[in-house]
Amino acid sequence: MTESRTSRPGTAGREAAPRYRGWIGQVTRSPLYAGTIGVLAASPRARLVLLVIVPLAWIVTFNIGPIYQMGRISLMQTYPAPDSGAVLTLDNYRLFFREPLYFMPFIRSLIFAALVTVVTLIVVYPVAYYVAKVIRPQNRKRALLLLLVPFWAGEIIRTFSVIMLLANRGALNYLLREVGLIDRPIPMLYTYFSLSFGVVYLIALYMLLPLYSAIEKIPSQLVDAAADLGAGPFERFRRVILPLSKDGIVSGCSLVYLITIGVFTAPLLLGGPNTVIFPEIIAALFHASNDKWPAGSAFSILMLIVSLSTVGLFMKLVGGRSVRLS
Amino acid sequence: MNSFASRYFTDLPKTALSASYWIFVIYLLLPLSLMMAMSFKEASFIAFPIQSWTLDWYAKVLQDQQFLGAVGYSIFIAVATTVIALIIGVWIALLVAAEGIWGRAMIFALACLPAVVPGLINAISMRIFIRVLDIPTGTGAIILGHTVHAVPFVVVMVLTRLRSMPHSLTDAARDLGADNFVAFLRVTVPYLAPALAGSAIFCVLSSIDDFVRTFFLGGYQPTLPMLIFAKVQGGMSPEINAMATIVLIVTAAVGLYAEHFTRRSKA
Amino acid sequence: MQPVVQFRNVNKLYGAMPAVADLDLSIAPGQFVTLLGPSGCGKSTTLRMLGGFELPTSGEILLDGRDITRLPPNKRNVNIVFQDYALFPHLTVGRNVAFGLELKGLRSDAIHRRTMELLALVQLGDFADRLPSQLSGGQRQRVALMRALAPDPDVLLLDEPLSALDAKLREQMQIELKSIQQRTGKTFLFVTHDQEEALTMSDVVVVMNGGRIEQMGDPHTLYASPRSRFVANFIGQSNLFEAEVMGLEGEMAVLSWNGHTVRARRNGNSPATGARVAFIVRPESIYCLGQTPGDAFAVPGRIGQRIFKGSHTTLEIELPGRQNVTAQLDPQALARLDGDDVLVGWRWENAVVLAD
Repeated sequence: MTESRTSRPGTAGREAAPRYRGWIGQVTRSPLYAGTIGVLAASPRARLVLLVIVPLAWIVTFNIGPIYQMGRISLMQTYPAPDSGAVLTLDNYRLFFREPLYFMPFIRSLIFAALVTVVTLIVVYPVAYYVAKVIRPQNRKRALLLLLVPFWAGEIIRTFSVIMLLANRGALNYLLREVGLIDRPIPMLYTYFSLSFGVVYLIALYMLLPLYSAIEKIPSQLVDAAADLGAGPFERFRRVILPLSKDGIVSGCSLVYLITIGVFTAPLLLGGPNTVIFPEIIAALFHASNDKWPAGSAFSILMLIVSLSTVGLFMKLVGGRSVRLS
Repeated sequence: MNSFASRYFTDLPKTALSASYWIFVIYLLLPLSLMMAMSFKEASFIAFPIQSWTLDWYAKVLQDQQFLGAVGYSIFIAVATTVIALIIGVWIALLVAAEGIWGRAMIFALACLPAVVPGLINAISMRIFIRVLDIPTGTGAIILGHTVHAVPFVVVMVLTRLRSMPHSLTDAARDLGADNFVAFLRVTVPYLAPALAGSAIFCVLSSIDDFVRTFFLGGYQPTLPMLIFAKVQGGMSPEINAMATIVLIVTAAVGLYAEHFTRRSKA
Repeated sequence: MQPVVQFRNVNKLYGAMPAVADLDLSIAPGQFVTLLGPSGCGKSTTLRMLGGFELPTSGEILLDGRDITRLPPNKRNVNIVFQDYALFPHLTVGRNVAFGLELKGLRSDAIHRRTMELLALVQLGDFADRLPSQLSGGQRQRVALMRALAPDPDVLLLDEPLSALDAKLREQMQIELKSIQQRTGKTFLFVTHDQEEALTMSDVVVVMNGGRIEQMGDPHTLYASPRSRFVANFIGQSNLFEAEVMGLEGEMAVLSWNGHTVRARRNGNSPATGARVAFIVRPESIYCLGQTPGDAFAVPGRIGQRIFKGSHTTLEIELPGRQNVTAQLDPQALARLDGDDVLVGWRWENAVVLAD
């Protein structure tokens, strides 16, 4: 693929003005087009500029810009900066390490995200395996669709629906009471249980899809071969299926971890005073008056760095994409 | 012959796997079904059991100006987001797919950044950003936030399709006398159509569903998720369930149609 | 000697479609046996039933006298070389070969020794640490073979393992396979649709058609004395003639063909006088004479086409009565011909009566 697209000799179209029918033809024949895009499209250099400038501007402004601003504000003592000029300081970062009120929720968030990731992996793997390999191929799409439908409901609706199940006067408590197992409702809402239930409910799809596509790609012959060489069901799983679905595991876990660490809706609706995790802390700092913004920015930056580097480390250790099925 | 389960799979693991699937399906569908059921409850508070049923909540919701306003507002934001995100996303994808551009891998990685950054941080950084640029919170800010988040997904989808496009197509178009822009409109865009359709549906659904960005960037006018959230906070009644059920059914219908559509265009 | 593998009245139905019907087959130890037939003839299904990947609808399969019909693949001492090798892409060549040994719970030094021994056998000793994706097709083929041989199976199954190789490599691998089989003394059960492959390597060829065994025997017998039209056509080329039976004479049948009285080997058939039968003569058994027949049997014909094939030339000869005969002549025989009008004949012992 080294053929250059721009160096084709003679670009014949330029001298003999192309004729097109329809609206494109009308546009290309108009002097306005010839004077603007036509000129740009005719010159390789202008074309290059046109191709590069908008994407680069977008990426720099809107992808890097906000993070940069956040980083900048995290170093300020107050925001907005006083007229005398901003004083740069690391105090906001120091505050984080000094204050357990901030520090502990952060640790809790990391542990919570890691646990949710592991639980989701364990819960979803057999499901993905079942759909990818056990179900007959002609039924596969339908089985997958059944799992996808709930995810078309938005974050809020899905989180809200968990309340129906777990509330004190929700379905589960009602059922337990009717059966006679309990006299008074078990408080399930606003606990870690409801929080994790809701979070797994939100993110299971992000585990399911990578796992499904990785497992589906494993040639059935390899499993046949393993069985043939004496591997029972467990050894087939351990020696062949698991290592060959590593790509899916790595990307599924990374996605789930990153989403869980920044989860916002679920703690808002399903969490309680005992389940304060870091996103709530950050959000609260931004909801308060401006003077908390620098601290909030610093915490956000910390969270960003820690979560991305955790995932990076994980990918490096487990080694995604090392195996390619030829 | 092409299934692991062909013959030597003993029944036990197969049953266990199938059980895990169905339990998972129930886990996914149960809360939503409960929520839908509750929307028919004839009482003004949410609690099981449901003794008598009614359609009143739907009647109420469908006449609720606030709800209808939020629907319109959400759709408006979704459409604007989709249009901008498609243009920018295709543009970035073209750049990443072009040959001889220095640092393409880097550009691609940075283009994907908003999809990797945890949602809350993404939202907060945008909040800071618009404040720095003195953009007021509200419609414009929401559209910007949604677009920034949607663009990486468009880039990835378009890029996948673009990479499978035979070079000969655009070359042929240029041999026939098309300048690059015309070749792009006449050849590349039609070829990208399935990816564009998929991206558009993704943009629309994710914008309508989005909560965290809207939460930080929104003004006084609520989008659908914001409205539902406010109602949940303000004391729950089956009215919310009716609202959520309507939204759920419409988005699921769009999603199912999209699924059907993309499957057909792949065949 | 007790057969190592026995199929006893095995049937396999896919829905209502019989893939294998009433299969009875015994395989003696140490032999290179080939299942030969067109696609869909049931040969692969037979192999997969023996490997444990398909369950027979009825009948039983014995390995070393033991009923293994319902055992899963991991519980049978049979290993298979898959058509596209099915090497584990995430394991090195060495670990691939060691796979079955590890599962047998051997000590690691024993595993290592045996692995290296096997790899050395196919000149791949230096490749133990590479991944399968870094090997050529022929090398992968050898690794797959050694991986299947490593656990010391009672029978080695080979499912069209050469079909993915190019022609030249395939020929080389045929020789190599045969020599490995002879050196290890293992029973090989080989599946192919390529008759040349079957003839080259096998001690016994089992020709299958429509889920049934058409004929079974050593390659020479199959070639010289095919029992049915199917076998005659599937193995080698043949000229097929229709004739009327005039009587039997010991091992020979006396036939009336095109107004000539000819003889052909009965090949175990006893057709009634007056019956219509078919007999075949292989192209290389057809002789062409100049204009003087002498006392040999010959009928006049006219050469339609000459196809030069290097070591020999194939002639398409038109006989009276719109019958065509294919003859295969070496250069000397060809040189003796003069013009396109020839006399064509064959020796009686080279003609064989078919059963159908």
